[in-house]
Amino acid sequence: MHQQKLKVKKWIQYGICIGVSMLSFGAHAGEGYFGWVYGLDLQPQGKWEFEQRLQLTRGQASGSYDLWQGRTEIEYGLTNNFQIAGYLNSYSMSAARNYTNQDFCDQGRSPCTGGYGVPGSANLNDSYSKNGIDGVSIEGIWRITNPVTSPIGVGLYIEPTIGYLKNALETRIILQSNFIDDRLILAGNLVYEVEKLKFDEEPIEETVIDFVGGITYRIIPNLNIGLEYRFHNDFDGYTLSRQTQRAHFWGPNIHYATKDWWVTAAMRTQIGGKCWDPGTAECSDGKVWDSHGRNEYIVKFGMPF
Amino acid sequence: MQWKSASYIAVVCVASQAPMGLVCAKKYISIDEVKQVMFSGEVFTQIEVDIPVKVREQMRKESGVRYAFNQKMIWKSTRGSWLITDEVVGKHEMITYALGINAAGQIQGVEILEYNETYGDEIREKKWLQQFKGKHANEPLRFNEDIKNISGATLSSKHVTNGVQRLMVLYREHLSKV
Repeated sequence: MHQQKLKVKKWIQYGICIGVSMLSFGAHAGEGYFGWVYGLDLQPQGKWEFEQRLQLTRGQASGSYDLWQGRTEIEYGLTNNFQIAGYLNSYSMSAARNYTNQDFCDQGRSPCTGGYGVPGSANLNDSYSKNGIDGVSIEGIWRITNPVTSPIGVGLYIEPTIGYLKNALETRIILQSNFIDDRLILAGNLVYEVEKLKFDEEPIEETVIDFVGGITYRIIPNLNIGLEYRFHNDFDGYTLSRQTQRAHFWGPNIHYATKDWWVTAAMRTQIGGKCWDPGTAECSDGKVWDSHGRNEYIVKFGMPF
Repeated sequence: MQWKSASYIAVVCVASQAPMGLVCAKKYISIDEVKQVMFSGEVFTQIEVDIPVKVREQMRKESGVRYAFNQKMIWKSTRGSWLITDEVVGKHEMITYALGINAAGQIQGVEILEYNETYGDEIREKKWLQQFKGKHANEPLRFNEDIKNISGATLSSKHVTNGVQRLMVLYREHLSKV
């Protein structure tokens, strides 16, 4: 009962956190056809858009693991081919005896409590939870070629982040091709990100190389459905000499848009993964954990203003 | 064509299945008004044309437009002018437009009848639509070359240009011979 009350209190706190961040940006929001794949649909010059994202990473090797990440964003078209944006990032997490790896769960207590966001000092606790404002990010996207007028649209993306959980510099090469009167969209991103994870006593430096790709088709006016895929690779440190993890995710997406607002929902499930360095990276049952879950869900809402 | 007054704008709101309320379709000008604006004094009769498969294929090949053409929306005047309405894909919804072709086979005018997108209203502006006027069915109508792009409304301006192109192919390959 007491646990339930704590959970309710936590969700209320998180709701307030998101609500405050939405209000602080005037409650306005932009258009993404995919959950996690970035496309080249940018704001026209001089136009603004508000976007709110909410992502849930749920389930690890055992027990429970829920990581909610909120991102409140304002986008602005500096030119018709260059867009900037600012984010306020928030999080809420709870983990309870979700790790089973003996190398990780020291003192012979397995399962123990761990994962992205859980400090080492809490590994022997039955549970751990925390929420709050994570930090801020800024982004810039330069569209070199437009997929509406070129066979392949190409763009470059950069996003530095400073936060409680991590500092990161994420870069992407964005590719997009449109077919069938621009109703069928294929998009792919090559992601290179360097991160310093800060929630533990000792910061962890790592490099991420991902490929995310997706397809979406407008089945009727206003409504798209599609699929997306992620090929994820983690490396220890800032070189690519020591790979720690690899994993594959895929799942469906749905996008509804009108002239005044849009919403996208997507989920992806981990279909398999591998770890090279047990103790540094957490793996079991042919899947990778740490900052990953069995399933990930995302909802994005956007509104031009 | 000049946009004289807001009386052309009829906002039709229908309850939609969308979870957040109403969708409003902006109708800027009716087909009867287009007839008067483009071909004042001419009398039009709606006709149904059976378009041969070969012509349909040519329309798709030259324009690149895949969305199906509704062959019921064609009118012919007693003086040999043609008026056709068509739909092309917009960013979220369909863009409805009308093309007038005079008896000499030249574009008399293009008008946007319905447009429901966040941005890109510039495609309704006289300056952009005037680019089509006088183009003959035998002339090319290439987007970004013969018809300029509207930055910030690239998809809408491309699709309307391609749509006009497919109707000119229809005229050249079939209507002009009817």
